[in-house]
Amino acid sequence: MKRLRQILRAVRAQMRAAWMTAMQYRLSFLGEGIVSLLWTGFTVVPLIVAYDYREGIEGWSFNECLIVVGVFIALQGILEGFIHPNLGSVVQLVRRGTLDYVLLKPLDAQLMVSVARSTPLKLPHIGVGLALAGVMAARLPDPPGPAQAGVALLLLLCATAILYSIYVFIVSTSFWFVRVDNLSFLLISVLDTGRFPVVFYTGAVRVFLTFILPVGMMTTYPALALRGLLSPRGALTALAVAAAFLLASRLVWRTAIRRYSSASS
Amino acid sequence: MIEVEGLTKVYRSPKKAPGLWGSLRSIFYREYKKVTAVDQASFRIAAGERVGFLGPNGAGKTTILKMLAGLLVPTGGTVTVAGFTPSERRPEFLRRITLVMGQKQQLLWDLPARETFELNRALFDLDKAQYGATLDELIALLELEPLLDRPVRNLSLGERMKCELAAALLHRPDVLFLDEPTIGLDVTMQVAVRRFIGEWNRRNGATVLLTSHYMADIAALCPRVIVVASGQVRYDGALDELVAQYAPDRHVVVRLLRPPTAEEAAQSAPLSQVDGRMEALVPVSEVKAVVDRALRTLPVSDLTVEEPPLEEVIARLFAREKR
Amino acid sequence: MNTYAAAARAFPSLLKTGLAEMVSYRVELVIWALTATMPLLMMFIWDRVAATGPVGGYDQNAFAGYFAGTLIVRQLTTAWVVWDLNEQIRTGSISPALLKPLGPLWLSAAENLAAVPFRMLVLVPIITCICLWRPELALGLAWADVPAAAAALALGWMVYFFIQVCFGALCFYTEQSGGIYMGFYGLFTLFSGYLFPLDLMPAGILSVVQWLPFRAIIQTPVSIITGQLHGAAVLAPMAHQLAWAVICAALARWSWRHGIRRYEAYGA
Repeated sequence: MKRLRQILRAVRAQMRAAWMTAMQYRLSFLGEGIVSLLWTGFTVVPLIVAYDYREGIEGWSFNECLIVVGVFIALQGILEGFIHPNLGSVVQLVRRGTLDYVLLKPLDAQLMVSVARSTPLKLPHIGVGLALAGVMAARLPDPPGPAQAGVALLLLLCATAILYSIYVFIVSTSFWFVRVDNLSFLLISVLDTGRFPVVFYTGAVRVFLTFILPVGMMTTYPALALRGLLSPRGALTALAVAAAFLLASRLVWRTAIRRYSSASS
Repeated sequence: MIEVEGLTKVYRSPKKAPGLWGSLRSIFYREYKKVTAVDQASFRIAAGERVGFLGPNGAGKTTILKMLAGLLVPTGGTVTVAGFTPSERRPEFLRRITLVMGQKQQLLWDLPARETFELNRALFDLDKAQYGATLDELIALLELEPLLDRPVRNLSLGERMKCELAAALLHRPDVLFLDEPTIGLDVTMQVAVRRFIGEWNRRNGATVLLTSHYMADIAALCPRVIVVASGQVRYDGALDELVAQYAPDRHVVVRLLRPPTAEEAAQSAPLSQVDGRMEALVPVSEVKAVVDRALRTLPVSDLTVEEPPLEEVIARLFAREKR
Repeated sequence: MNTYAAAARAFPSLLKTGLAEMVSYRVELVIWALTATMPLLMMFIWDRVAATGPVGGYDQNAFAGYFAGTLIVRQLTTAWVVWDLNEQIRTGSISPALLKPLGPLWLSAAENLAAVPFRMLVLVPIITCICLWRPELALGLAWADVPAAAAALALGWMVYFFIQVCFGALCFYTEQSGGIYMGFYGLFTLFSGYLFPLDLMPAGILSVVQWLPFRAIIQTPVSIITGQLHGAAVLAPMAHQLAWAVICAALARWSWRHGIRRYEAYGA
């Protein structure tokens, strides 16, 4: 318990430093919020055009589709505000050799690099996404109750865990090949597929998005939960997949660190 | 405090064939060559000692230091530091050591150094009162007061190093690993850093292991040196003895009131004329005779007998190695 | 005019430099090219929309052809000079480039051109997959229209490049123009035909959008290389392209010169 409290204190101190760094560049929440709204608009307009021609696409009405868009935008904010700045910096740490200092602190290195650069910069973006999903869900003919909303949030957490784990896989490869920062942009653009319900995709692409890089699970499942269409089995699968990804990321990270401390010069 | 027995580190480094074709081929098939960075090194260091590691670039000094700090896993041999096996990197161990690397920084670039200190307080879970006392002591010793509230990016290299040292010492480690702590600093800053490290050792009895390119660092701080070349320990002992062993000559310089006559010059051999003064490298056993003769025969205004600079001693040591 | 003659003489060697640079960044380049997959996503959603019957004259094959064309055009008419300028002006590394008789824009243009082979490399497997998926896709360019297609691609690239130069020159005043540019980029994705054929827009909006420069970059070249437009029908949209290319070039030239003068006075 005492250990846990110490860890929390350390995490808080890390975040404080990161936030102060962000403040240095005089971020404006208002500005970020406006940009987020603008981008949400850019994401929604193509759907408006498409739904102009059809009432529903593959069983998703316009409103229901916007729930997926909302979840997607929130997840995008989480990736760009909390996962990318933290894990993305590991590549720099390896390149500059300053990962040594992280390893010499008496706290878990993976935990520290995962929180060290979290900034509030993308909170408005996440807020816009959640608000869109929430408003659209409330306008469903059969709006979700608190239980369904809770499940949806839990699933969003699972999605975050999966995304985080995939990012850890990518970053861990930087211990072998240094030039991988670009791969993270590829991840961001693969995540882009999550802006539509996964049933919009056909053939191999859907298989890929369902089983290999479960983007479908990440954004479609929370929306399905809000619509009351997700089976308990589906939710449990998502939990299990998230847990498996987290475990795998832990193993990969440890292998990478072992490699780092046996081979760096 | 530190016990090292048969410490060995072998790297496997990929042999890269040149050109595009080579890099394509290396994706599928890689040849490796083994590089022995540290070879069967053994030494013991007692608590409170100050030991300098000497050696040319790539000799394995930094590798040894990193293995002692737990950043690298040894290929062979055993290391114990303060009773721990470093490579396990247990929190109890990490609280007792620190590593400062002159070329890498831990300070948060965009924030004042004070913020890094606060962060380290949280990471090491330091008691507030004790942290305050340590910080005050460091501020006084390193004269940090005017630096604390400026963003690190606005500090000079030397000022940054002072803050690095403070950040590394807040948890009052028993063992200090310093890898080139004065690299790139100007001479006054080098002296300041050196003086601080010595003072910290005196006050706290911490063990100091230091590598440096500047012999003056070693000469000022380390009564004991370990010379490493091609991964092997070539000398381990007192700095004075090293000098005696490898520098049996003294540099005798005589300044004159007026230029010597040809006869005077001839009589005062082996001294010879250089830039209006007389000088020579003389074996220790003959110094007295040479000086006596010079004083008798020459119009001496000033006379000095010096040990050759440490750089020269080391250069000679390694030159002998090669033969 | 002398500058242009000099540029023409130097261009082959600029191209060689650009090519060498692109070779050394080949991995990054391919990854960057792979991130331009938005049309692919849009193809799937429109394919679903058209599954129950054609919309606005587009059936599933027409959409497959349209978005395959969009992917190709996007790879060929893209530019990144705005990011180069942001970086070079922020770090000051533009100063030495300004001292050379040929400005840094020429090298940027050469790099764009040099990257084309690598970008095509990425396209081959993707377009092949689309062709396997919808073998009947509408992607047919008549030989007679090849010159028009090439000219349309060149003009489209010029419009995009010069607009980026305008945004890049903003850095001379504001130090950072990436954010503002992203606003433009968002509008570009919507109004260029990048995410959906513009004729699917409500007529009222379309009547405004067609006067804007965006469609010159994507829709016009796409409709020519997919064979949607051919013969004399290409002339009107290409006149629109040409007009915007001239306007953007003039604007780029003006803002670039102004920016440099300011930079030389205050920055550097």
